[in-house]
Amino acid sequence: MTTVKFTLNGKKVTLETDISRRFLDVLRNDLNQTGPKEGCGEGECGACAVLLDGHSVNSCLLPLAYVHNKEVMTIEGYAETERYKVLEEAFIHEGSVQCGICIPGMMIAAESLLNQNPNPSETSIRHSLSGNLCRCTGYNMIVKAIQRAAQRGKGLW
Amino acid sequence: MKDISKSVEKIDAKEKISGRMKYVSDYKMDDMLYAKTVRSTQCHAKIKAIHLPELPKGYYTVDYRDIPGENFVKMIFEDWPVFAEETVNYIGEPILLVVGKDKAVIQSIIRDITIDYEPLKPTFEYTKSEVHYHYTKGNPKPIFDKHNQHIEYTYKTGYQEQAYIEPQGFIAYLEGERIVLEGSIQAPYYVKNAVVNTMACEADAIRVIQTTVGGAFGGKEEFPSVMGCQLAVAVHKIKQPIKLIYEREEDMEVTTKRHPSKIVMTAAIDSNQKIAGLHARVALDGGAYVGLSSVVLSRAMIAATNAYTIDHLDIEGDVYRTHTVPNGAFRGFGAPQMIFAIEMFMHHIAHTLKIDPFAFRMNHLAKQGDLTSTSGTFRDPILMPEMIKKACDISNYHEKVKTYSDPKVRKGIGMSWFFHGCGFTGSGEAKHINAKVKLKKDDQDVVHLLIAAVDMGQGAKTTLMKVASHVLEIPLSQIRYANPDTDEVPDSGPTVASRTAMIVGGLVARASKQLKAKWAKGKEVVVYEQYQQPDYVKWDEETFTGDAYPAYSWGVNIVEVEVDKATYEVDVKKCWSVYDIGKSLDDLVVLGQADGGAAQGIAYGYLEVMNHKDGKIQQKNMTDYIIPTAVDMAQTETHFIENPFALGPYGAKGAGELTLVGGAPAVALAIEMAINKHITKIPVTPEFIMELMQNDDR
Amino acid sequence: MVKHYLPSSFQEALEIKHQEDVMLIAGGTDLMVQHRTWSELPPQFDKPLLFLFNLAELKYIKKDANTLYIGSMTDLETLLYHNDTPPCLKDIIALMASPAIRYVCTLAGNIVNASPAADSLLALYALDAKLVLTSLKEERIVSIESFITGPRQTIIKSNEIIKEIQLPHQPFNRVHFKKIGGRKSDAISKLAFLGLANVNQDHQIDTFRIVLNAVAPTLIRLHETERTVEGLSLEAFKHQKDALLEAYNTAIKPIDDQRSNRTYRRQAALNLIRQFIETL
Ligand SMILES: Cc1cc2nc3c(=O)[nH]c(=O)nc-3n(C[C@H](O)[C@H](O)[C@H](O)COP(=O)(O)OP(=O)(O)OC[C@H]3O[C@@H](n4cnc5c(N)ncnc54)[C@H](O)[C@@H]3O)c2cc1C
Ligand code: FES
Ligand code: FES
Repeated sequence: MTTVKFTLNGKKVTLETDISRRFLDVLRNDLNQTGPKEGCGEGECGACAVLLDGHSVNSCLLPLAYVHNKEVMTIEGYAETERYKVLEEAFIHEGSVQCGICIPGMMIAAESLLNQNPNPSETSIRHSLSGNLCRCTGYNMIVKAIQRAAQRGKGLW
Repeated sequence: MKDISKSVEKIDAKEKISGRMKYVSDYKMDDMLYAKTVRSTQCHAKIKAIHLPELPKGYYTVDYRDIPGENFVKMIFEDWPVFAEETVNYIGEPILLVVGKDKAVIQSIIRDITIDYEPLKPTFEYTKSEVHYHYTKGNPKPIFDKHNQHIEYTYKTGYQEQAYIEPQGFIAYLEGERIVLEGSIQAPYYVKNAVVNTMACEADAIRVIQTTVGGAFGGKEEFPSVMGCQLAVAVHKIKQPIKLIYEREEDMEVTTKRHPSKIVMTAAIDSNQKIAGLHARVALDGGAYVGLSSVVLSRAMIAATNAYTIDHLDIEGDVYRTHTVPNGAFRGFGAPQMIFAIEMFMHHIAHTLKIDPFAFRMNHLAKQGDLTSTSGTFRDPILMPEMIKKACDISNYHEKVKTYSDPKVRKGIGMSWFFHGCGFTGSGEAKHINAKVKLKKDDQDVVHLLIAAVDMGQGAKTTLMKVASHVLEIPLSQIRYANPDTDEVPDSGPTVASRTAMIVGGLVARASKQLKAKWAKGKEVVVYEQYQQPDYVKWDEETFTGDAYPAYSWGVNIVEVEVDKATYEVDVKKCWSVYDIGKSLDDLVVLGQADGGAAQGIAYGYLEVMNHKDGKIQQKNMTDYIIPTAVDMAQTETHFIENPFALGPYGAKGAGELTLVGGAPAVALAIEMAINKHITKIPVTPEFIMELMQNDDR
Repeated sequence: MVKHYLPSSFQEALEIKHQEDVMLIAGGTDLMVQHRTWSELPPQFDKPLLFLFNLAELKYIKKDANTLYIGSMTDLETLLYHNDTPPCLKDIIALMASPAIRYVCTLAGNIVNASPAADSLLALYALDAKLVLTSLKEERIVSIESFITGPRQTIIKSNEIIKEIQLPHQPFNRVHFKKIGGRKSDAISKLAFLGLANVNQDHQIDTFRIVLNAVAPTLIRLHETERTVEGLSLEAFKHQKDALLEAYNTAIKPIDDQRSNRTYRRQAALNLIRQFIETL
């Protein structure tokens, strides 16, 4: 047992547990954050994505120790932000949501991209989603939503 | 009134975007146990002995001996055991469940289980036919005798994995004496009926509730019945809630996939260079158990002439048993294999005859009033000529064909034409399903759609609520459509076969009309509707004659590619589509179906590789089984041509599967043009392209 | 339960590594996949883990006149966007995994994992990378090629940690990188090719490098062969095409696996080499 401290959605968290545990399990089982999903458990699908210091990471591959002294935001926390609202509107407007299992991860990837590059080209949007698999939509409507959000959310990122 | 096609905010979008939506893996209960499946490591063997370690208190195993009823999963063909008994027939076949509280303990129990096998000789070839169908149209024999120019090609297709992002899962528990199963499923009543049979209980002893589905594509049509039966047996024995969620690798290795196929096509060509008669021999690899493969086979066989009219047909097909994972439902359901074969074949005939493939195909295109492959009638208008023209115009098809036909140019453009029969094949709707819907208006004047149709992302909730809202002339906010619960909803059939919008939607529209007539403010009103086959639809199951479907949706896909000279990799540049789905019930919803279908259909043709080696699936995780990413997916341009179908709600027909079935031939034809070689097998991988290019004869 | 270590300084990490048989973990993107068990259970390691990535001391990119120094815990996203990262390494990183994986994974991990299909190794081999291996008492510098001895095999000692990766500055005005994966992004290489050359004003080839992955148990770089063309004029070089192709054809030993087959790997590798030669 080692003590791990981090902030989760702006609140301080201290945990004493096995620090090799997958952060995804800690989030879902110990911290009641079920927005991140397990689609593959091997870093391929991105359904488990969360923001670590503002950048998307796959929580299924992340040992808990990794988040020590860092800032974590899950979709639950992100949903409380202004930026989220812009992306949400865009995803709805473009009809980007089907089964929805990939969507929280897509939102995290989109935030991570816009945070780095508020005016992304279509190509960089596609590359930024390369670790987020969606089997329902064929991606184009998600790409369009991110383009729309970048346009409408000018100044927010 | 507002045009129903105009999009609204998807009913469940906000909940899904925010991560608030619960999927089955998010469910937890007090005293909940976990289950894990112990599976065969052999593709074909006798089980000589199973050595179990001593189980700690609170840990259980569950196997076939615990089954109160019959040890098979009730689907179409009754051969699929709930748990293996004496023999195993594929790698990954379930033998028993280990159930308990702590996953680590379960793991260690499983590690200590040893199973002695006596290997038996496996079959992986198309040798053991379990289902054989045959039908004819016209008089094929004399036609083949008379026209002695025969052209024959053999086509092969591989596995395709549904690869829904949410793996299969259930949670099961007791409610008094009753067993409740909540899971990620497409067909609540399939699960219920299968469990009732396995438990040998009354129908009302079983309750099945659909949890929000994270993708299905056919993969959650019949397979969940297997898990459902196992869990019901386990809950009955242990009497505590049990959760069973597949790991990704497990899901990829042991759940049903699209059937690999081999299709031999022979055409008799007349003196006008038209196809006088067609023979097709379809072989599907059913895997270890037939399950519903026979229905997949019939859809494949009926699609033999695709969007063309050919007067004389002799069509045969078989489902073969092999010692591999059972194959099953996947969006398209047999049609993708056949439509790949026939679309390539039309081109290969034209090449053989040295005539223009486009003109050759146009000469055979089906028209309203023509007889279908099964001698039914295309009653409704067929707008294909207009759709083809549109698709060619927006993609500049004819120009590009000219430019890309130069063998030095490594670019290509391919066009597929296709249709998809909406609803169950043949008398399925009337005889086997007999869909019912129920609408209830409560005393608050809120209308509840009580139907078994599942929204697995395709937007059924949004479109069906819109239908009710438009007929009743009430806002969507006054309508509820909860995930189906067999205690609440009648059997409106499974959510498959592109039947939900047209058939269930049609019933919802009728029920709404009824409810509108009976509307009494502040009072509860309940109405029912039941499917009635249109009188004109006649179908003979034995001979495959008559109208196989009440209606058809139509489509054109055009795909442009470039093939890398050094690496043989295919770059899909763009995809243009034109569809006739009758009438769209929501433009964004159908566009989503079109994009998602194109992604899967095109990838089936060139990207997605799955094979087995001695019965073992080789690509068993998301790293090795490649599905497209956002970078692979080309831009799409999609148009819908309205052609309302009289019996569909507001004219709607099916859209779910149509958008997948033309992808593979379109991309394969494009690659064919780019490399100037005949393609008779999908997926057209770089490895395969290299092989073709090293073979110099065309 | 095994006890894992989360050291707060490199010194502390070296001490732990000295005293105990622990497993180093950087980003964990290889280790967490390789050791995963059942969802919700901790991954299964038979040794305690020593977590390195929190060590800020090992996250740096520095340079002097001759060399670029990369701290071993620098993540690949940082490298991707850093001005001093050699262009060929950037091209490679841009097609490795996905942004989310790159944000946590490291060059050190890619090196020690020593997969025949590792991508960053293309650049490290081509650029004559050196590794600084540090233990409590010693520090040694070895070349990347002597470090990796086989698939998943290296010469690292049980008390050593990779502290730094060093890349000598070398000018190349011809860079050709091509990765063939199962799809256009986020894919493991079926094979990948990196060709580098410096052609001087007199149209002579000063330096020439070809590295391939996934066509042999370790990456392929043929120093002897490279030397035979260095110093040649472009004209003379073109005459060496067949000899070059033959040399690589003999050296590569591709295999069949779930991602591709040997015939394809060989053919595609030779095509890429030919293409590079022809476009010099
Ligand atoms: C989805 C996915 C996609 C991927 N795509 C690619 C790809 O396209 N190309 C590619 O090449 N790889 C790819 N990988 C593999 C992996 O990401 C890389 O190998 C990565 O560089 C490993 O770095 P890490 O820091 O995560 O290593 P870890 O998993 O932390 O460690 C790997 C090995 O290195 C050792 N190690 C780590 N740091 C040190 C050190 N300082 N000193 C000594 N030993 C050390 C560890 O003990 C372990 O043996 C992919 C992985 C995933 C999950
Ligand atoms: S579950 Fe983490 S990437 Fe798929
Ligand atoms: S919406 Fe279903 S996987 Fe993306």
